[in-house]
Amino acid sequence: MAFDITTLINGTIVEITLSGELDANSAQRFRQELETIAPGKPTALVLRTAHLVYIASAGIRVLIFAKQKMGATVTVYMVAPQEQVLDTLRRTGLQNTIVVVDQYPAVP
Amino acid sequence: MNTFTVPATLDSLSDIAVFVLKAADDAGLDRQARYRLRLAVDELATNVVNYGCSAAGRTGARPGSIDLRAEMNDRTLTVVMEDAGAPFDPTRQPPPRLDLPPDEREIGGLGIFLALQGVDQYHYERVGDRNRSVFIVNRPTEKGPD
Repeated sequence: MAFDITTLINGTIVEITLSGELDANSAQRFRQELETIAPGKPTALVLRTAHLVYIASAGIRVLIFAKQKMGATVTVYMVAPQEQVLDTLRRTGLQNTIVVVDQYPAVP
Repeated sequence: MNTFTVPATLDSLSDIAVFVLKAADDAGLDRQARYRLRLAVDELATNVVNYGCSAAGRTGARPGSIDLRAEMNDRTLTVVMEDAGAPFDPTRQPPPRLDLPPDEREIGGLGIFLALQGVDQYHYERVGDRNRSVFIVNRPTEKGPD
C-alpha cells in the first residue's frame, strides 16, 4: 500500500495526515516534511493516523526526530492510530512521549 | 516451498511485505502475529539494504539481492531470508534503552529489537558467505469440540 502524506498548517498547529505504510522507504518523505515544518516552531504536531496501516522503526525514528527537532515546547499528538501501529509505539516506549487521542481537538 | 528473490534496495521492501503477508495468510496467523512477522522481516531486510548489500552498491559494485523462502508445517510458519552482505548477527547487537526518553537514547537497535521480539523464534546463521535469518511463528491451534 502506498504512503501518502498531507500537511495543514494553522498558525502554530501543524496537522499531518499519514496514510498507507510508513517503512524505511517512505520514512524519508515524512522526515523531509518535518524538516520543512520545523523552522516554523509549531507548538502542536497533530499526526492523523487513522489510515496508517503500518509503521516500522524508521517511522518511529522520524517521530523521535520530530520531538528533538522541534524542541520540548511542541506536543506531538497521534490521532486514532490503528491497533497494531499503537502496539508498535508501545513496544518502543514512545507512548510516554506522544499523546495518543481518539479525536483532535478533543471533544469537551 | 515458496521462494522469492529481490534486489537489496529500499524499493523492494513492499514486495518483501507482499511475500511475507501472503505466507502469513496461508498459515492462518492472527492479525497481530501477521503484522509482527511482516515487521520483523522488514526490519532486518532494511538492515541488509542499508548496511549490507547496498554498501557494496555505494562503492560502485552492483547491490546484491535478498532471497526469501517460506515453509509451513502443522505447527509453524518459517520464513528464511538470506543475503550475501557482510557478516551481521542481529542477536549480538545491544538492545535499545527503552527506559530512557527517546531523545536520550543512542541511535540504532530499535529495528532489531522489534524484529527479534516479534516472532516466536529467531535464529541467525552464517552459511558460507551468506547471512541467513530464520523467523519462526507458531500457527494458531484449532480447538477441538468440548
